[in-house]
Amino acid sequence: MATGARKAVYPLFQLGGPQLRIFRPNFYMLVVRPGVPQPEDTVQFRVSMEMTKVDIKNYLEKIYNVPVAAVRTRIQYGANNKRNHKNQRVKKPDYKVAYVQLGQGQTFQFPNLFPEKEQDTETRSFDDFKNTYMEREKQRQKGDPRRGGVPDWFGL
Amino acid sequence: MLLMLNLFHKNLAKVEPFHQLKFLHTTLSRKGLEEFFDDPRNWGEKNVKSGDAWNIKQLRGKSSEDLHKLWYVLLKEKNMLLTLEQESKRQLRPMPSPERLEKVEKSMKNIDLVVREREIALRLLQTGHEKPVPGEWRNDFLGRTYWYTYKEWPIPWYLNKKYKKRKFYYLPHVNHFIRLRLEKSLRRRVRRQNLEKTRQKVLERKFPHLAVKSQS
Repeated sequence: MATGARKAVYPLFQLGGPQLRIFRPNFYMLVVRPGVPQPEDTVQFRVSMEMTKVDIKNYLEKIYNVPVAAVRTRIQYGANNKRNHKNQRVKKPDYKVAYVQLGQGQTFQFPNLFPEKEQDTETRSFDDFKNTYMEREKQRQKGDPRRGGVPDWFGL
Repeated sequence: MLLMLNLFHKNLAKVEPFHQLKFLHTTLSRKGLEEFFDDPRNWGEKNVKSGDAWNIKQLRGKSSEDLHKLWYVLLKEKNMLLTLEQESKRQLRPMPSPERLEKVEKSMKNIDLVVREREIALRLLQTGHEKPVPGEWRNDFLGRTYWYTYKEWPIPWYLNKKYKKRKFYYLPHVNHFIRLRLEKSLRRRVRRQNLEKTRQKVLERKFPHLAVKSQS
């Protein structure tokens, strides 16, 4: 039916009319690490600008099967202060932030998506190569060891 | 189940197994929010392998139910990739294999196209119209002709003050500007054609052995 709910024209709603149903929603939602520490049950999302609190609740419950107790949203204005090489103002895009409180006593902690992994043989050999090269460069810059650390500028 | 597995492996490197074990009681799993993140084994990797995007020809062979389910799979994948992108920007690290995003977007666009084709075909058979919303060609006050789609209003047009202020006709003094616009478009067309011809000539001069031999 409504192909792509973003940038779509919805049918007009009048009292007693049918409930709007969107069959293949194009809305995105992504989890972000909160800048300010949030309570245990609160998850912070960045959502499409056109989504409402009811939309977010239904989205999470139907598509992700996550119980939602409450949703609060706000729109973050992206600044227009930066300038490019032509001195034109470059705008950072606006985005909507949603704070979702999970139901049924669930908690959520944003995981660490970049854990330290042990390096494989390829990278290790490259690091060794790099270290030997750096040592050789430092030796060359030091100068003649027989002069006892005195720079070449001084005669004799 | 097999059909679903075949459906998924084209775009995702890993398939999530469906929990169909009857005698296993699971507590309320946080499987919901885990779907916003990749497989934990892929966290911290530099490159994550993924298949090619879905082609329109491949999608045309799938049923509407399959396309519907695939749409949601791709949507969840897109959400996961966007989360990863934002987190990598936050942690100032490179995002592992960002081409996955483009592939997912392309697949979703292709699904949209296929579904739209099917809808148009069905609508043509049932009603005889190909467009979902009726419309007509109208002139604006600058003399340009464009396709105006009808909008839904709760009141008729003769009670709509803002609509009555819009002018769908142009006065005779605009004809001069229409003529200028036409001349400009003709000049642009001729310039484009000449550019094509000169480019073709340059190529023929550089690679004479690849010239198309005209049948004499």
